[in-house]
Formats: sequence, structure tokens, C-alpha cells
Amino acid sequence: MAHPSQLGFQDAASPVMEELLHFHDHALMIVFLISTFVLYIIVAMVTTNLTNKFILDSQEIEIIWTLLPAVILILIALPSLRILYLMDEINNPHLTIKAMGHQWYWSYEYTDYEDLGFDSYMIFTQDLTPGQFRLLEVDHRMVVPMESPIRALISAEDVLHSWAVPSLGVKMDAVPGRLNQTAFIASRPGIFYGQCSEICGANHSFMPIVVEAVPLVHFENWSSLMLEDT
Amino acid sequence: MLRLTTGRVGCLLARRATAAVTTSSTRMASKEVSESVDMSQPMYWDRADIPLPDKPYKDVLTDADKSLKQKEKGPWGQLTKEEKIALYRLTFCKTYPEMKQQTAEWKTVIGGIFFFLGFTGIVIWWQSVYVYPPRPRTFDDEWKSQQLKRMLDMKINPIQGISAKWDYEKGQWK
Repeated sequence: MAHPSQLGFQDAASPVMEELLHFHDHALMIVFLISTFVLYIIVAMVTTNLTNKFILDSQEIEIIWTLLPAVILILIALPSLRILYLMDEINNPHLTIKAMGHQWYWSYEYTDYEDLGFDSYMIFTQDLTPGQFRLLEVDHRMVVPMESPIRALISAEDVLHSWAVPSLGVKMDAVPGRLNQTAFIASRPGIFYGQCSEICGANHSFMPIVVEAVPLVHFENWSSLMLEDT
Repeated sequence: MLRLTTGRVGCLLARRATAAVTTSSTRMASKEVSESVDMSQPMYWDRADIPLPDKPYKDVLTDADKSLKQKEKGPWGQLTKEEKIALYRLTFCKTYPEMKQQTAEWKTVIGGIFFFLGFTGIVIWWQSVYVYPPRPRTFDDEWKSQQLKRMLDMKINPIQGISAKWDYEKGQWK
């Protein structure tokens, strides 16, 4: 989750998110350079006393300011496409989890081996224990084994939702009647928070997603306990 | 650039006043709120970057002006200082220093900005007193410190974020 007044991205918890962070640094640096240059030109134009009313033809600069933006765009596009294709790599997931969006909660189904399914509702502000995060905590977290490729199949039971966890670099729309697939690897153990990212009604802001990445042993214990409960 | 506009407005207003007594500009018979300018005719302007307008400032000359113009055709050394200035004022409305003169417009602009900022501040204060619901208990100092402790215990953002700035061995910020 983000700390208060955080402006930048959360630290990456998956390799894809690390790539996205580096790409963002690259693109933002280019953007800052261009903006600084343009701001300088604007200030220079406004504060000068010099005028030249007889400029005609300027082939050299026209060539430069046509080619240079094209080159800059290519320099942005190449890393971007690299990451795009990287995200689509065959990754042989160890586990498949279905995340279904409802109004206004998520439900998770782990049906690879046994029939495990449960709902994940937000904890109301008045029910929080001291120190818990308002509008982010849920009663049942989606537990995954760490350092394992996970396939997430996202869909919805009623209206559009979107399953997003920023620190894992995952966002996938939940469309009723459609199965959208995404994959991630949790590189480190931890609890990663996200929120529904497609407007879905009155409580759209109150259906968060919490992914808990734990070592495999703990994941197995948790899933056994959950199966006993249901 | 910005100085140009205010100077230009000033002399265009002066030009309107003189247009009332001279017939140098084309005027409609019917009453108008604003004077329409015939752009196909030579115009006068006061611009620091275009020094010589298409036509002189005063078109219609009195007899005294005409005799002065005749004297101008002779050697200029014989013109007195006042005559030279009068000849300049026939051809031009403003001198360069007059064109470039600073106005007090900036005071109005800054005053207006502060006024609207202050008004916005009043609206924001009124909202915070009369509109907003009570703050959730998660904004209490005690809750916030418990929350921060929990974030550090959970190692939220441990690479470059908040947990990376906490020294776990010493139990204090780095």
C-alpha cells in the first residue's frame, strides 16, 4: 500500500512491476527534458526585446524538429513494446485462481485440486482493529504462494469491475460473461493491497483486493484450514 | 510583447479622442459603440518594433502646421527646438519612452489574484466548518502511529519506500 501523501509508485513485488518502474523512469525523464526545454523557450520568447519579422524558410531546423521527435518516440516505444511482449510470455503457472467481481465484493475460487471458494468483503471503518488500514482491509485475503507463477482468471457476476494490485503490476477488467487472464509472480512475501478499478455502483470505492504472498508451506496450511471451514 | 499591448491601447484611445475632432478616419453615419477601422486604408500605429507607420499621425493640418511643414523643407538647422518637437508630434503620437512606459496594470492583476485567493480561502474554511462530516477515527494520532508501526512490521515498500527508511536493528529512522 502507499504511505500517506505518497506520489510515486509503490515498490515492486513482481518482476513485471520492476520493469514497469524502470520504463516509467525512462519515459518520465524524457518528458521532463522536453518540458524543461519548452518552458525555457517560452520564457525566452516572452522576455526578449528582439524581433525579426522577415523569417522565411528554415529548412535545417524544420528537419531537426521533425526527425528528433520521431527518434524520441522510437526510444520510448522500443522499451514499451519489450515489456508488452514480456508480459505475454508463456509462464507455466503453478496455480490458477479465479477472481469474480460482484457488487460489492470479490470472490476467489481455488479449484485446481479441491473446491475452495470464499468471498472477500471490505472491513467497515467501525469494525477495524487499531492500526488497520481504512477502506483497504478485507475479511478474507487472497493467499498465494510466493515466487510461483500464478494465473488469475478475472470475471464478474453482474457489472464491470477491475481487479488491480499496483505493487504486483496487475490490472485486469472483470467483464461479465468473459474470462480475462493475467499472470503474476510475487517476488517477496508480504501483503499487497489494491482497489476495484472500474466504476461499478455505489460501493465501487469499498471493495478492495488484498493479496497475501506466503511461503508454500504456509499456503498449504491456509488452504487446508479454509477447506475445513467451508 | 506585453508592454506593446498596453501602450497600443493607450494610443488607440488617444486616437479615438482625436478622431472625434479630425476627419482622418472613415466614420459611419449611424451611432456605434465602437469605431470600425478600415484595414484597407493606411493606418497609424505606435509600435516599438515597427518604427515607421504607414501614415503620419496628423493628416489634417492647420495653417500653422502647414507653414511649419514648409519651413521643414528648408535647412533643419534653422528650426528651433520647439518647432522640431512640434514637427515630431505632427508625424508621431508618442515618443519611444512614452510607448515603453510602464503601467500600473500589474498592481491590479496581483490585487485581483490575492482577492480571489482570499475568497477561495474563505469558501474552503466555511466548507470545513459547516459541510464536512466528522473525521474517521483512523486519522487520530494514536491510530496513525499504530498504523505506521503495522506498516513497518509488515515491511510495506521495503526496497525504496517507507520500510527502507526504517532501521530495524536500531528501531529508529535511518
